[in-house]
Amino acid sequence: MQIYLPIAELSVNLFFLVGIGGAVGFLSGLFGVGGGFLLTPLLIFSGVPAPVAVASVTGQVVAASTSGALSHYRRGGIDLHLAMYLVLSGILGAFGGVATFALLRDAGQLDLVISLGFLILLGSVGVLMLIESSRALLRTRKGVVVRERLPNQHSWIHGLPMRVRFKKSRLYISVLPVLLIGLFIGFVGSLLGIGGGFIMVPALVYLLRVPGNVVIGTSLAQVVAMMAATTILHAVQSQSVDILLAFCLMVGGTAGAQFGAAAGKQLRGEQLRGLLALLILAVAIRFGLSLVLTPGDVFSTAVVGGAR
Amino acid sequence: MRLVLALLGLCLLLVPAHGARLVSQLSNDSVEITSSYAGERLTFFGSIEPDAGSTERVEGPFHVVVVVVGPTQDRVARRKTNNFGIWINTEQVEYDNFPSYFHVLASGKLEDISDITTLTTNNILPEAYTLSSDSGDWWSGPVFGRELVRLMTQQGFFGVQENGVNFLSNNFYSARLTLPSNAPPGPYIALTYVFKNGEIIARKSEGFAVRKIGFERFIALSAIQYPLLYGIVCVILALFTGWLGGVIFKR
Repeated sequence: MQIYLPIAELSVNLFFLVGIGGAVGFLSGLFGVGGGFLLTPLLIFSGVPAPVAVASVTGQVVAASTSGALSHYRRGGIDLHLAMYLVLSGILGAFGGVATFALLRDAGQLDLVISLGFLILLGSVGVLMLIESSRALLRTRKGVVVRERLPNQHSWIHGLPMRVRFKKSRLYISVLPVLLIGLFIGFVGSLLGIGGGFIMVPALVYLLRVPGNVVIGTSLAQVVAMMAATTILHAVQSQSVDILLAFCLMVGGTAGAQFGAAAGKQLRGEQLRGLLALLILAVAIRFGLSLVLTPGDVFSTAVVGGAR
Repeated sequence: MRLVLALLGLCLLLVPAHGARLVSQLSNDSVEITSSYAGERLTFFGSIEPDAGSTERVEGPFHVVVVVVGPTQDRVARRKTNNFGIWINTEQVEYDNFPSYFHVLASGKLEDISDITTLTTNNILPEAYTLSSDSGDWWSGPVFGRELVRLMTQQGFFGVQENGVNFLSNNFYSARLTLPSNAPPGPYIALTYVFKNGEIIARKSEGFAVRKIGFERFIALSAIQYPLLYGIVCVILALFTGWLGGVIFKR
Protein backbone atom coordinates (compact mmCIF):
# COMPACT_ATOMS: atom_id res chain seq x y z
CA MET A 1 0.00 0.00 0.00
CA GLN A 2 1.56 3.25 -1.16
CA ILE A 3 1.27 6.36 0.96
CA TYR A 4 2.13 9.85 -0.23
CA LEU A 5 4.37 11.86 2.10
CA PRO A 6 3.33 15.51 1.74
CA ILE A 7 6.61 17.12 2.84
CA ALA A 8 9.07 14.60 1.42
CA GLU A 9 6.95 14.76 -1.78
CA LEU A 10 7.19 11.15 -2.74
CA SER A 11 5.15 8.04 -2.15
CA VAL A 12 6.51 5.16 -0.12
CA ASN A 13 5.13 1.77 0.84
CA LEU A 14 3.33 2.12 4.17
CA PHE A 15 4.34 -1.36 5.39
CA PHE A 16 7.96 -0.62 4.56
CA LEU A 17 7.88 2.50 6.76
CA VAL A 18 6.13 0.83 9.68
CA GLY A 19 8.45 -2.15 9.18
CA ILE A 20 11.73 -0.25 9.46
CA GLY A 21 10.22 1.75 12.31
CA GLY A 22 9.41 -1.52 14.06
CA ALA A 23 12.79 -3.14 13.38
CA VAL A 24 14.71 -0.12 14.64
CA GLY A 25 12.24 0.21 17.53
CA PHE A 26 12.99 -3.40 18.51
CA LEU A 27 16.71 -2.66 18.60
CA SER A 28 16.15 0.58 20.51
CA GLY A 29 14.01 -1.22 23.11
CA LEU A 30 16.61 -4.00 23.33
CA PHE A 31 19.55 -1.67 23.91
CA GLY A 32 17.79 1.31 25.48
CA VAL A 33 18.85 3.79 22.79
CA GLY A 34 16.71 6.04 20.60
CA GLY A 35 17.63 4.36 17.34
CA GLY A 36 17.97 7.59 15.37
CA PHE A 37 21.48 6.63 14.30
CA LEU A 38 20.02 3.63 12.44
CA LEU A 39 16.78 5.16 11.17
CA THR A 40 18.19 8.32 9.57
CA PRO A 41 20.65 6.48 7.28
CA LEU A 42 17.97 3.89 6.40
CA LEU A 43 15.52 6.60 5.31
CA ILE A 44 18.14 8.48 3.29
CA PHE A 45 19.06 5.21 1.62
CA SER A 46 15.41 4.59 0.65
CA GLY A 47 15.11 7.90 -1.18
CA VAL A 48 13.82 10.35 1.44
CA PRO A 49 15.68 13.67 1.08
CA ALA A 50 18.33 13.96 3.83
CA PRO A 51 16.91 17.12 5.50
CA VAL A 52 13.42 15.57 5.70
CA ALA A 53 14.85 12.31 7.05
CA VAL A 54 16.87 14.01 9.79
CA ALA A 55 14.01 16.31 10.86
CA SER A 56 11.30 13.61 10.85
CA VAL A 57 13.42 11.06 12.72
CA THR A 58 13.80 13.70 15.44
CA GLY A 59 10.02 13.46 15.94
CA GLN A 60 10.14 9.66 15.97
CA VAL A 61 12.89 9.66 18.65
CA VAL A 62 10.58 11.70 20.91
CA ALA A 63 7.90 9.01 20.66
CA ALA A 64 10.38 6.13 21.03
CA SER A 65 11.87 7.60 24.21
CA THR A 66 8.61 8.74 25.82
CA SER A 67 7.32 5.36 27.00
CA GLY A 68 10.75 4.48 28.40
CA ALA A 69 11.08 7.82 30.15
CA LEU A 70 7.60 7.50 31.66
CA SER A 71 8.22 4.06 33.11
CA HIS A 72 11.55 5.24 34.58
CA TYR A 73 9.78 8.28 36.02
CA ARG A 74 7.22 6.07 37.78
CA ARG A 75 10.05 4.05 39.29
CA GLY A 76 11.73 7.27 40.39
CA GLY A 77 14.69 6.71 38.08
CA ILE A 78 14.99 10.27 36.80
CA ASP A 79 17.08 13.03 38.35
CA LEU A 80 14.89 15.92 37.19
CA HIS A 81 17.28 18.54 38.55
CA LEU A 82 20.19 17.14 36.55
CA ALA A 83 17.97 16.58 33.50
CA MET A 84 16.87 20.22 33.61
CA TYR A 85 20.47 21.48 33.39
CA LEU A 86 21.18 19.06 30.53
CA VAL A 87 18.03 20.05 28.65
CA LEU A 88 18.52 23.81 28.95
CA SER A 89 22.09 23.67 27.65
CA GLY A 90 20.99 21.02 25.14
CA ILE A 91 18.38 23.33 23.61
CA LEU A 92 21.04 26.03 23.30
CA GLY A 93 23.24 23.51 21.49
CA ALA A 94 20.31 22.50 19.29
CA PHE A 95 19.92 26.11 18.11
CA GLY A 96 23.54 26.00 16.97
CA GLY A 97 23.09 22.57 15.42
CA VAL A 98 20.01 23.50 13.41
CA ALA A 99 21.65 26.69 12.12
CA THR A 100 24.84 24.79 11.18
CA PHE A 101 22.66 22.18 9.48
CA ALA A 102 21.15 24.84 7.18
CA LEU A 103 24.56 26.40 6.45
CA LEU A 104 26.16 23.06 5.57
CA ARG A 105 23.24 22.04 3.39
CA ASP A 106 23.58 25.17 1.30
CA ALA A 107 27.34 24.73 1.03
CA GLY A 108 26.92 21.14 -0.16
CA GLN A 109 28.95 19.67 2.69
CA LEU A 110 26.08 18.25 4.77
CA ASP A 111 26.63 14.67 3.62
CA LEU A 112 30.32 14.92 4.36
CA VAL A 113 29.79 16.26 7.88
CA ILE A 114 27.06 13.72 8.63
CA SER A 115 29.33 10.89 7.48
CA LEU A 116 32.36 12.25 9.37
CA GLY A 117 30.27 12.90 12.47
CA PHE A 118 28.81 9.41 12.51
CA LEU A 119 32.23 7.89 11.81
CA ILE A 120 34.01 9.69 14.64
CA LEU A 121 31.23 9.48 17.23
CA LEU A 122 30.02 5.97 16.54
CA GLY A 123 33.54 4.71 15.88
CA SER A 124 34.98 5.94 19.16
CA VAL A 125 31.93 5.07 21.29
CA GLY A 126 31.67 1.66 19.62
CA VAL A 127 35.33 0.79 20.20
CA LEU A 128 35.20 1.93 23.85
CA MET A 129 32.02 -0.05 24.51
CA LEU A 130 33.38 -3.14 22.80
CA ILE A 131 36.58 -3.06 24.87
CA GLU A 132 34.68 -2.45 28.09
CA SER A 133 32.06 -5.13 27.52
CA SER A 134 34.46 -7.79 26.30
CA ARG A 135 36.63 -7.18 29.37
CA ALA A 136 33.58 -7.55 31.57
CA LEU A 137 32.56 -10.72 29.74
CA LEU A 138 36.05 -12.24 30.10
CA ARG A 139 36.16 -11.36 33.79
CA THR A 140 32.81 -12.94 34.57
CA ARG A 141 33.84 -16.03 32.62
CA LYS A 142 36.97 -16.30 34.81
CA GLY A 143 34.75 -16.03 37.83
CA VAL A 144 36.12 -12.71 39.12
CA VAL A 145 33.51 -10.58 40.83
CA VAL A 146 33.20 -7.32 38.92
CA ARG A 147 33.54 -4.39 41.26
CA GLU A 148 30.93 -1.70 40.66
CA ARG A 149 32.33 1.73 40.08
CA LEU A 150 31.86 3.77 43.23
CA PRO A 151 29.75 6.89 42.74
CA ASN A 152 31.84 8.94 45.12
CA GLN A 153 35.14 8.40 43.32
CA HIS A 154 36.47 11.82 42.43
CA SER A 155 38.32 13.08 39.38
CA TRP A 156 39.55 16.52 38.28
CA ILE A 157 36.05 17.25 36.95
CA HIS A 158 34.75 17.33 40.49
CA GLY A 159 37.20 20.07 41.41
CA LEU A 160 35.68 22.70 39.09
CA PRO A 161 33.87 25.76 40.51
CA MET A 162 30.11 26.51 40.56
CA ARG A 163 29.15 23.37 42.39
CA VAL A 164 25.53 22.34 42.63
CA ARG A 165 24.02 19.52 44.70
CA PHE A 166 22.05 16.93 42.72
CA LYS A 167 20.17 15.07 45.45
CA LYS A 168 18.87 12.10 43.52
CA SER A 169 22.20 11.34 41.90
CA ARG A 170 23.94 11.87 45.26
CA LEU A 171 26.35 14.26 43.55
CA TYR A 172 27.81 17.60 44.54
CA ILE A 173 29.58 18.73 41.38
CA SER A 174 30.29 21.75 39.20
CA VAL A 175 27.57 22.56 36.66
CA LEU A 176 30.17 23.39 34.00
CA PRO A 177 30.77 19.81 32.77
CA VAL A 178 27.02 19.15 32.95
CA LEU A 179 26.26 22.16 30.77
CA LEU A 180 29.08 21.27 28.36
CA ILE A 181 27.78 17.73 27.91
CA GLY A 182 24.27 19.07 27.29
CA LEU A 183 25.53 21.67 24.83
CA PHE A 184 27.59 19.12 22.89
CA ILE A 185 24.83 16.54 22.67
CA GLY A 186 22.27 19.18 21.69
CA PHE A 187 24.52 20.36 18.88
CA VAL A 188 25.51 16.94 17.58
CA GLY A 189 22.03 15.48 18.02
CA SER A 190 20.26 18.13 15.98
CA LEU A 191 22.98 18.09 13.34
CA LEU A 192 22.95 14.32 12.85
CA GLY A 193 19.30 13.61 13.67
CA ILE A 194 20.08 11.36 16.63
CA GLY A 195 18.97 11.46 20.25
CA GLY A 196 22.49 11.05 21.52
CA GLY A 197 21.58 8.53 24.21
CA PHE A 198 24.58 6.43 23.29
CA ILE A 199 26.89 9.38 24.06
CA MET A 200 24.89 10.66 27.02
CA VAL A 201 24.92 7.42 28.99
CA PRO A 202 28.72 6.90 28.93
CA ALA A 203 29.28 10.62 29.57
CA LEU A 204 27.05 10.56 32.67
CA VAL A 205 28.57 7.33 33.94
CA TYR A 206 32.27 7.91 33.31
CA LEU A 207 32.59 11.72 33.48
CA LEU A 208 30.04 12.68 36.12
CA ARG A 209 29.83 9.34 37.98
CA VAL A 210 26.05 9.39 38.01
CA PRO A 211 24.82 6.21 39.76
CA GLY A 212 23.41 3.44 37.55
CA ASN A 213 19.84 3.57 38.83
CA VAL A 214 19.20 7.09 37.48
CA VAL A 215 21.48 7.12 34.40
CA ILE A 216 19.11 5.60 31.83
CA GLY A 217 16.02 7.45 33.09
CA THR A 218 17.75 10.83 33.19
CA SER A 219 19.25 10.30 29.75
CA LEU A 220 15.84 9.31 28.34
CA ALA A 221 14.12 12.33 29.89
CA GLN A 222 16.82 14.56 28.43
CA VAL A 223 16.39 12.95 24.99
CA VAL A 224 12.60 13.47 25.05
CA ALA A 225 12.81 17.14 26.01
CA MET A 226 15.69 17.99 23.73
CA MET A 227 14.40 16.14 20.67
CA ALA A 228 10.99 17.75 21.17
CA ALA A 229 12.66 21.16 21.08
CA THR A 230 14.75 20.14 18.05
CA THR A 231 11.64 18.96 16.19
CA ILE A 232 10.04 22.38 16.67
CA LEU A 233 13.28 24.10 15.64
CA HIS A 234 13.50 22.02 12.45
CA ALA A 235 9.83 22.71 11.71
CA VAL A 236 10.36 26.46 12.08
CA GLN A 237 13.74 26.71 10.40
CA SER A 238 13.44 24.44 7.37
CA GLN A 239 9.81 23.20 7.32
CA SER A 240 11.21 19.75 6.70
CA VAL A 241 9.40 17.72 9.37
CA ASP A 242 7.07 15.28 7.61
CA ILE A 243 4.38 14.51 10.18
CA LEU A 244 3.04 11.57 8.20
CA LEU A 245 6.48 10.01 7.81
CA ALA A 246 7.23 10.60 11.49
CA PHE A 247 3.89 9.11 12.54
CA CYS A 248 4.38 5.91 10.50
CA LEU A 249 7.81 5.49 12.07
CA MET A 250 6.42 6.21 15.56
CA VAL A 251 3.71 3.56 15.28
CA GLY A 252 6.23 0.92 14.20
CA GLY A 253 8.84 2.20 16.62
CA THR A 254 6.77 2.21 19.82
CA ALA A 255 5.39 -1.26 19.09
CA GLY A 256 8.83 -2.63 18.23
CA ALA A 257 10.39 -1.05 21.31
CA GLN A 258 8.07 -3.02 23.63
CA PHE A 259 9.10 -6.35 22.09
CA GLY A 260 12.72 -5.25 22.16
CA ALA A 261 12.53 -4.39 25.85
CA ALA A 262 10.99 -7.81 26.58
CA ALA A 263 13.72 -9.55 24.59
CA GLY A 264 16.35 -7.46 26.38
CA LYS A 265 15.45 -9.06 29.70
CA GLN A 266 16.72 -12.40 28.38
CA LEU A 267 20.24 -11.06 27.89
CA ARG A 268 22.82 -9.91 30.42
CA GLY A 269 24.08 -6.33 30.58
CA GLU A 270 27.57 -6.99 29.18
CA GLN A 271 26.19 -9.10 26.35
CA LEU A 272 23.75 -6.34 25.43
CA ARG A 273 26.47 -3.72 25.50
CA GLY A 274 28.74 -5.93 23.41
CA LEU A 275 26.05 -6.43 20.77
CA LEU A 276 25.21 -2.72 20.74
CA ALA A 277 28.91 -1.93 20.34
CA LEU A 278 29.10 -4.23 17.30
CA LEU A 279 26.00 -2.60 15.80
CA ILE A 280 27.37 0.91 16.36
CA LEU A 281 30.72 -0.10 14.88
CA ALA A 282 29.03 -1.59 11.80
CA VAL A 283 27.23 1.70 11.13
CA ALA A 284 30.47 3.64 11.72
CA ILE A 285 32.38 1.43 9.27
CA ARG A 286 29.63 1.85 6.69
CA PHE A 287 29.99 5.65 6.95
CA GLY A 288 33.78 5.45 6.96
CA LEU A 289 33.81 3.40 3.78
CA SER A 290 31.54 5.91 2.02
CA LEU A 291 34.14 8.60 2.71
CA VAL A 292 37.18 6.64 1.62
CA LEU A 293 36.03 4.36 -1.21
CA THR A 294 35.79 5.79 -4.71
CA PRO A 295 32.13 6.78 -5.03
CA GLY A 296 30.07 5.15 -7.75
CA ASP A 297 29.20 8.60 -8.98
CA VAL A 298 31.40 11.61 -8.29
CA PHE A 299 28.63 13.93 -9.43
CA SER A 300 25.59 14.81 -7.38
CA THR A 301 22.87 17.41 -7.56
CA ALA A 302 20.66 19.28 -5.12
CA VAL A 303 18.10 22.05 -5.04
CA VAL A 304 19.43 25.25 -3.50
CA GLY A 305 17.34 27.56 -1.37
CA GLY A 306 13.70 26.55 -1.55
CA ALA A 307 11.52 25.28 1.24
CA ARG A 308 13.17 21.90 1.60
CA MET B 1 -11.51 50.16 -41.59
CA ARG B 2 -12.64 47.58 -44.07
CA LEU B 3 -9.38 47.92 -45.91
CA VAL B 4 -7.42 47.23 -42.75
CA LEU B 5 -9.45 44.15 -42.02
CA ALA B 6 -9.03 42.93 -45.54
CA LEU B 7 -5.29 43.48 -45.37
CA LEU B 8 -5.15 41.69 -42.03
CA GLY B 9 -7.07 38.75 -43.45
CA LEU B 10 -4.72 38.61 -46.39
CA CYS B 11 -1.73 38.63 -44.10
CA LEU B 12 -3.15 35.78 -42.05
CA LEU B 13 -3.65 33.78 -45.22
CA LEU B 14 -0.18 34.47 -46.46
CA VAL B 15 1.94 34.09 -43.33
CA PRO B 16 1.73 30.38 -42.48
CA ALA B 17 3.86 28.82 -45.13
CA HIS B 18 2.47 25.35 -44.66
CA GLY B 19 -1.07 26.27 -43.75
CA ALA B 20 -1.34 23.82 -40.87
CA ARG B 21 -2.55 24.21 -37.35
CA LEU B 22 -2.62 21.95 -34.38
CA VAL B 23 -5.78 20.95 -32.56
CA SER B 24 -4.79 19.24 -29.37
CA GLN B 25 -6.14 18.16 -26.04
CA LEU B 26 -4.77 16.96 -22.73
CA SER B 27 -6.46 14.17 -20.77
CA ASN B 28 -6.41 16.09 -17.48
CA ASP B 29 -5.74 19.72 -16.76
CA SER B 30 -4.77 18.98 -13.19
CA VAL B 31 -3.14 16.07 -11.43
CA GLU B 32 -4.35 15.76 -7.87
CA ILE B 33 -2.14 14.34 -5.19
CA THR B 34 -4.03 12.39 -2.55
CA SER B 35 -2.74 10.06 0.14
CA SER B 36 -2.77 7.09 -2.24
CA TYR B 37 -1.10 9.03 -5.06
CA ALA B 38 1.48 6.87 -6.80
CA GLY B 39 1.96 8.67 -10.08
CA GLU B 40 -0.51 9.47 -12.82
CA ARG B 41 -0.82 8.67 -16.50
CA LEU B 42 -1.45 11.56 -18.84
CA THR B 43 -2.56 11.31 -22.45
CA PHE B 44 -1.91 13.97 -25.05
CA PHE B 45 -3.77 13.76 -28.31
CA GLY B 46 -4.46 16.00 -31.24
CA SER B 47 -4.67 16.31 -34.93
CA ILE B 48 -2.97 18.41 -37.58
CA GLU B 49 -5.62 20.35 -39.47
CA PRO B 50 -5.49 22.74 -42.39
CA ASP B 51 -5.50 26.37 -41.37
CA ALA B 52 -8.85 28.10 -40.97
CA GLY B 53 -10.05 29.30 -44.34
CA SER B 54 -7.49 27.29 -46.22
CA THR B 55 -8.83 24.71 -48.64
CA GLU B 56 -5.50 23.02 -49.10
CA ARG B 57 -5.17 19.57 -47.59
CA VAL B 58 -2.32 19.05 -45.16
CA GLU B 59 0.00 16.32 -46.28
CA GLY B 60 2.38 14.35 -44.10
CA PRO B 61 4.61 12.82 -43.15
CA PHE B 62 4.57 14.74 -39.90
CA HIS B 63 6.56 14.37 -36.78
CA VAL B 64 5.15 15.39 -33.43
CA VAL B 65 7.23 16.20 -30.37
CA VAL B 66 5.60 16.82 -26.98
CA VAL B 67 7.81 18.49 -24.36
CA VAL B 68 6.57 18.42 -20.77
CA VAL B 69 8.35 20.88 -18.48
CA GLY B 70 7.79 20.96 -14.72
CA PRO B 71 8.17 23.85 -12.27
CA THR B 72 11.63 25.38 -12.22
CA GLN B 73 13.99 25.51 -9.26
CA ASP B 74 17.54 26.64 -8.62
CA ARG B 75 19.80 23.64 -8.73
CA VAL B 76 23.48 22.88 -8.27
CA ALA B 77 25.59 20.11 -9.72
CA ARG B 78 28.54 19.10 -7.55
CA ARG B 79 31.63 17.03 -8.10
CA LYS B 80 33.52 15.09 -5.45
CA THR B 81 37.28 14.92 -5.54
CA ASN B 82 39.69 12.91 -3.45
CA ASN B 83 41.46 15.08 -0.87
CA PHE B 84 43.91 13.24 1.39
CA GLY B 85 41.97 10.01 0.96
CA ILE B 86 38.54 11.50 1.65
CA TRP B 87 35.96 12.22 -1.04
CA ILE B 88 34.65 15.77 -0.67
CA ASN B 89 32.37 17.93 -2.82
CA THR B 90 34.78 20.54 -4.12
CA GLU B 91 33.43 21.95 -7.39
CA GLN B 92 29.92 23.12 -8.08
CA VAL B 93 28.03 24.85 -10.88
CA GLU B 94 24.70 26.53 -10.23
CA TYR B 95 21.76 26.49 -12.63
CA ASP B 96 19.00 29.02 -11.99
CA ASN B 97 15.43 28.23 -13.07
CA PHE B 98 16.29 24.69 -14.00
CA PRO B 99 13.24 22.50 -14.71
CA SER B 100 12.48 19.98 -12.00
CA TYR B 101 10.82 17.75 -14.56
CA PHE B 102 11.48 17.44 -18.28
CA HIS B 103 10.22 14.73 -20.57
CA VAL B 104 10.25 14.63 -24.35
CA LEU B 105 7.87 12.40 -26.25
CA ALA B 106 8.60 12.14 -29.95
CA SER B 107 7.25 10.22 -32.89
CA GLY B 108 10.71 9.22 -34.05
CA LYS B 109 14.39 9.70 -33.44
CA LEU B 110 15.02 13.35 -32.60
CA GLU B 111 18.02 13.44 -34.95
CA ASP B 112 15.76 12.37 -37.82
CA ILE B 113 13.07 14.90 -36.92
CA SER B 114 15.17 18.02 -37.08
CA ASP B 115 18.68 19.41 -36.80
CA ILE B 116 20.33 20.08 -33.46
CA THR B 117 20.13 23.87 -33.73
CA THR B 118 16.35 23.87 -34.12
CA LEU B 119 15.98 21.39 -31.28
CA THR B 120 18.25 23.36 -28.96
CA THR B 121 16.83 26.82 -29.67
CA ASN B 122 13.33 25.51 -28.99
CA ASN B 123 14.44 23.86 -25.73
CA ILE B 124 13.53 20.39 -26.94
CA LEU B 125 16.81 18.87 -25.81
CA PRO B 126 17.39 18.77 -22.04
CA GLU B 127 20.92 20.08 -22.56
CA ALA B 128 19.40 23.39 -23.71
CA TYR B 129 18.66 24.27 -20.10
CA THR B 130 22.24 23.69 -19.01
CA LEU B 131 23.68 26.31 -21.34
CA SER B 132 22.79 29.18 -19.01
CA SER B 133 24.88 28.17 -16.02
CA ASP B 134 26.03 30.91 -13.69
CA SER B 135 29.41 30.02 -12.34
CA GLY B 136 30.73 27.45 -14.79
CA ASP B 137 33.67 28.45 -16.96
CA TRP B 138 33.84 27.43 -20.60
CA TRP B 139 35.17 24.01 -19.76
CA SER B 140 33.35 22.84 -16.64
CA GLY B 141 29.98 24.32 -17.70
CA PRO B 142 29.20 21.74 -20.42
CA VAL B 143 30.69 18.86 -18.39
CA PHE B 144 28.55 19.62 -15.33
CA GLY B 145 25.53 20.25 -17.56
CA ARG B 146 25.84 16.85 -19.17
CA GLU B 147 26.27 15.17 -15.80
CA LEU B 148 23.29 17.05 -14.35
CA VAL B 149 21.06 15.82 -17.19
CA ARG B 150 22.36 12.29 -16.62
CA LEU B 151 21.60 12.46 -12.87
CA MET B 152 18.12 13.85 -13.46
CA THR B 153 17.50 11.09 -16.01
CA GLN B 154 18.64 8.42 -13.53
CA GLN B 155 16.22 9.78 -10.93
CA GLY B 156 13.40 9.65 -13.47
CA PHE B 157 12.85 13.41 -13.65
CA PHE B 158 14.27 13.77 -17.15
CA GLY B 159 13.71 11.56 -20.12
CA VAL B 160 13.41 11.33 -23.86
CA GLN B 161 11.04 8.73 -25.32
CA GLU B 162 11.62 8.62 -29.04
CA ASN B 163 8.67 6.30 -29.61
CA GLY B 164 6.40 8.15 -27.19
CA VAL B 165 4.07 9.60 -29.83
CA ASN B 166 1.95 7.30 -32.00
CA PHE B 167 0.13 8.30 -35.14
CA LEU B 168 -3.30 6.70 -35.29
CA SER B 169 -3.95 8.06 -38.76
CA ASN B 170 -2.01 10.32 -41.12
CA ASN B 171 -2.62 13.39 -39.00
CA PHE B 172 -4.05 12.18 -35.70
CA TYR B 173 -1.60 11.39 -32.91
CA SER B 174 -1.66 10.39 -29.27
CA ALA B 175 1.07 10.29 -26.64
CA ARG B 176 1.20 8.85 -23.15
CA LEU B 177 3.26 9.99 -20.22
CA THR B 178 3.40 8.50 -16.73
CA LEU B 179 4.19 11.14 -14.12
CA PRO B 180 6.21 9.52 -11.30
CA SER B 181 5.02 9.85 -7.70
CA ASN B 182 7.94 12.11 -6.83
CA ALA B 183 7.22 14.57 -9.64
CA PRO B 184 7.34 17.96 -7.90
CA PRO B 185 3.99 19.73 -7.45
CA GLY B 186 3.52 22.98 -9.34
CA PRO B 187 2.63 24.33 -12.75
CA TYR B 188 3.57 22.19 -15.74
CA ILE B 189 3.66 23.16 -19.40
CA ALA B 190 3.20 20.76 -22.29
CA LEU B 191 4.59 22.16 -25.56
CA THR B 192 3.61 20.36 -28.73
CA TYR B 193 5.59 20.89 -31.92
CA VAL B 194 4.64 19.61 -35.37
CA PHE B 195 7.60 19.08 -37.70
CA LYS B 196 7.55 18.61 -41.41
CA ASN B 197 10.80 18.12 -43.32
CA GLY B 198 12.77 19.23 -40.28
CA GLU B 199 10.90 22.48 -39.77
CA ILE B 200 8.34 23.48 -37.19
CA ILE B 201 5.03 24.11 -38.96
CA ALA B 202 2.77 24.37 -35.93
CA ARG B 203 3.08 24.56 -32.19
CA LYS B 204 0.84 24.81 -29.21
CA SER B 205 1.30 24.98 -25.47
CA GLU B 206 -1.01 23.75 -22.78
CA GLY B 207 -0.67 23.99 -19.04
CA PHE B 208 -1.63 21.62 -16.30
CA ALA B 209 -1.05 21.67 -12.58
CA VAL B 210 0.20 19.00 -10.23
CA ARG B 211 -1.12 19.86 -6.81
CA LYS B 212 -1.82 18.40 -3.43
CA ILE B 213 -5.46 18.35 -2.38
CA GLY B 214 -7.35 17.62 0.80
CA PHE B 215 -5.30 16.33 3.73
CA GLU B 216 -1.95 16.45 1.91
CA ARG B 217 -2.51 20.06 0.90
CA PHE B 218 -3.56 20.92 4.45
CA ILE B 219 -0.39 19.42 5.93
CA ALA B 220 1.95 20.97 3.40
CA LEU B 221 0.32 24.37 3.82
CA SER B 222 0.34 24.31 7.60
CA ALA B 223 4.01 23.28 7.64
CA ILE B 224 4.82 26.45 5.73
CA GLN B 225 2.25 28.91 7.11
CA TYR B 226 2.23 27.92 10.78
CA PRO B 227 5.62 26.25 11.30
CA LEU B 228 5.66 26.78 15.06
CA LEU B 229 2.19 25.32 15.59
CA TYR B 230 3.00 22.49 13.19
CA GLY B 231 6.14 21.62 15.14
CA ILE B 232 4.27 21.68 18.45
CA VAL B 233 1.55 19.41 17.02
CA CYS B 234 4.26 16.99 15.83
CA VAL B 235 5.73 16.87 19.33
CA ILE B 236 2.34 16.36 21.00
CA LEU B 237 1.57 13.57 18.54
CA ALA B 238 4.93 11.97 19.34
CA LEU B 239 4.45 12.23 23.10
CA PHE B 240 0.93 10.83 22.82
CA THR B 241 2.01 7.93 20.58
CA GLY B 242 4.86 7.09 22.93
CA TRP B 243 2.60 7.19 25.98
CA LEU B 244 -0.11 5.14 24.24
CA GLY B 245 2.44 2.54 23.19
CA GLY B 246 3.54 2.15 26.77
CA VAL B 247 -0.04 1.82 28.02
CA ILE B 248 -1.22 -0.66 25.36
CA PHE B 249 1.66 -3.04 25.69
CA LYS B 250 1.79 -3.04 29.46
CA ARG B 251 -1.54 -4.82 29.88
